Amino acid sequence: MQEVINKWERIELGGEAERLYSKPRSFAEDVWFRFSHKPTALLGLIIIALLLVFAIAGPYFTPYGYDDQNTKLANIPPVMQVYPAPDGNFLYITKALKIIEVDKDGHLLGQLKKGKDNSKEKITVFPYKDDMTVTLDYTVMPATIRDADGNRIEKGKSIWNHTYLLGTDHLGRDILSRLMYGTRISLLVAFIAAAVNMVIGIFYGGISGYLGGRTDAIMMRIVDIISTIPLTLYVILIKVCLDDGFLSIVIALSSVYWVDMARVVRGQVLSLKNQEFVMAARTIGSSTLSILTNHLIPNAMGPILVTVTMLIPSAIFMEAFMSFIGIGIAPPLASLGTMCNDATEALRTNPYQLFLPALVICLIMFAFNFVGDGLRDALDPKLKK
Amino acid sequence: MDNDQSVLLKVENLTKHFPVSGNRVVHAVDDVSFTIKKGKTLGLVGESGCGKSSCARTVIRIYEPTSGRIILDGTDITNLSQKELLPHRRKMQMIFQDPYASLNARMTVQDIIAEPLRAHHICKNKAEEREMVAEMLHQVGLNQEHASRYAHEFSGGQRQRVGIARALILHPQLVICDEPISALDVSIQAQVINMLRIFQEEQELTYLFIAHDLSMVRYVSDDVGVMYLGQLVEKCETDEIYAHPLHPYTQGLLSSVPIPDPVLARKKENAGIAGDIPSPIDPPAGCRFHTRCPYAEKRCETEVPALKEASPGHFVSCHKFG
Ligand SMILES: Nc1ncnc2c1ncn2[C@@H]1O[C@H](COP(=O)(O)OP(=O)(O)O)[C@@H](O)[C@H]1O
Ligand SMILES: [Mg+2]
Repeated sequence: MQEVINKWERIELGGEAERLYSKPRSFAEDVWFRFSHKPTALLGLIIIALLLVFAIAGPYFTPYGYDDQNTKLANIPPVMQVYPAPDGNFLYITKALKIIEVDKDGHLLGQLKKGKDNSKEKITVFPYKDDMTVTLDYTVMPATIRDADGNRIEKGKSIWNHTYLLGTDHLGRDILSRLMYGTRISLLVAFIAAAVNMVIGIFYGGISGYLGGRTDAIMMRIVDIISTIPLTLYVILIKVCLDDGFLSIVIALSSVYWVDMARVVRGQVLSLKNQEFVMAARTIGSSTLSILTNHLIPNAMGPILVTVTMLIPSAIFMEAFMSFIGIGIAPPLASLGTMCNDATEALRTNPYQLFLPALVICLIMFAFNFVGDGLRDALDPKLKK
Repeated sequence: MDNDQSVLLKVENLTKHFPVSGNRVVHAVDDVSFTIKKGKTLGLVGESGCGKSSCARTVIRIYEPTSGRIILDGTDITNLSQKELLPHRRKMQMIFQDPYASLNARMTVQDIIAEPLRAHHICKNKAEEREMVAEMLHQVGLNQEHASRYAHEFSGGQRQRVGIARALILHPQLVICDEPISALDVSIQAQVINMLRIFQEEQELTYLFIAHDLSMVRYVSDDVGVMYLGQLVEKCETDEIYAHPLHPYTQGLLSSVPIPDPVLARKKENAGIAGDIPSPIDPPAGCRFHTRCPYAEKRCETEVPALKEASPGHFVSCHKFG
């Protein structure tokens, strides 16, 4: 017979019954576990990482600076429709009726010098190499070219631009390099603005929530007033008062978005300060500073982080928007917004110039929103149904 | 009596009103007086919402008292600033009702239990601190291995023991237990109660023990005070209150305690108390219990009954007595 276990016997304290079998896991590890099991959040994180590498390390691998321009090679797209030249190279006709010589691998060799221009018949003759000529006929658009014997050269294949991988803009600047520098500036502006907003918001909201009463009421009325003014208008007004440039846009963005953060922090502190663990800290005799740093802020950190990650795409968009309407980053500095702005001049003929920076803006916004969403779910599993 | 060496806590006419919107006040605690002798336990009983927690939190000075006096170990701590209060905080600690809300989820058990040591600068170094926490953990039936864990990994009973460890590590004289077991599983309530009693014997602790019914109080208290709508309506020794409950409210509370004897249970007439507890914002005039009292008379609606000694050591505030 087996030994009969009496279920009603008192279990000794400190014995086997008190063992914990799970691995110790901190709150952060818990959050990471849930976060990493959400594909969109992980995707967002990967995109952000790639964008950071692109923006930070990228410029070291391109031969062009953001302001190196070559007007002779302006408005060249990344993929060119080329004509075979008599000697086996290729020729590309720009939208401005210039002829660019391209080698077999897609490297741009330069613009052909103009020879005779017969504007009555609408043809231009270009000397090619030492002894050959090609004739550009623009009586009907799109223009066609003929060789020295007058035979029309048929359109050849499409070829990838190997000198400027993503083409050039209207001043002949390398779009890839400008995208790298532009992403760098846009992210930098957004990160600085987010950090400043976070600090201001935590202080403002924390003080307001912790002190409560009349102080809280007055501070929150101020926030209400600020938030009734449309942010865009507000930023534009600030920008008008300051000079153009990097610093002023950082200041403008930093002084606006803290309002949301202050609200979030205040709400958190307000609900946390009456929780029993905060009361316990007070009965123990812990100082106010210790209560704030050990109890209130760590417990409010989740919503604060979510708000910051959601704030970054707004800041990026606002920066791009202001640069787009021409009161943001000053040229020749590139930001994603100024690149979009530059592209609008020749939007019809060169849509890729707008498409590329817009794509990067979209990627950044998607990525941060995904991460923010994932963080929110990971921090508060109760929110999920 | 004022200089009685044996009295640890003396509360005189304690009142706590919370202002709420519309210039109204919640009469959470109204004119409550009691004393607790060293090493003894006073059980404070009453329905939920009658002001027990408010009373406890005012005594321990998390809430500012509206009026009245709190005398701890011969010192009037009613009007001390939080800074002046700091040395006195070591003498009184609190165990909270909710073992989940009372522990910070972002801290390890080590940090939670060491918080009082840090606030009062007791340990010279980390090693000493770790040793004291380990000793305390051992006393509440947990071990060193638990120190590095976060509170959410524990069961309710284990968490409550962490809360007890935090309250007792400073070796306080007075421990206020605010419904320490009502959020726990029935199966572990006895475990926690036994632990509290063992600590009381070993360290001569004084307890203010709060509960919402009379069933458990019997096993821990020397005296019992019954609260209704912010007021103390009956106060006497524990055995006396079970043998001769005088106030109709106390009788009602007692009849809602499950009685194991079916014959006695059938005899029980007015089971429980009729009606709901009135709002503490506009407490009824006269005797606050008259709206629910089966014996209410005309004068109960207008005259406030005083707390009078109905028999030696047995105080009750009811017009039926006195
Ligand atoms: N901070 C507060 N502000 C306003 N009213 C409160 C506050 N704390 C408690 N009260 C009110 O005081 C009354 C007594 O509450 P409480 O002391 O928690 O009762 P108990 O612990 O006996 O259940 C309740 O009506 C409650 O709503
Ligand atoms: Mg309570």
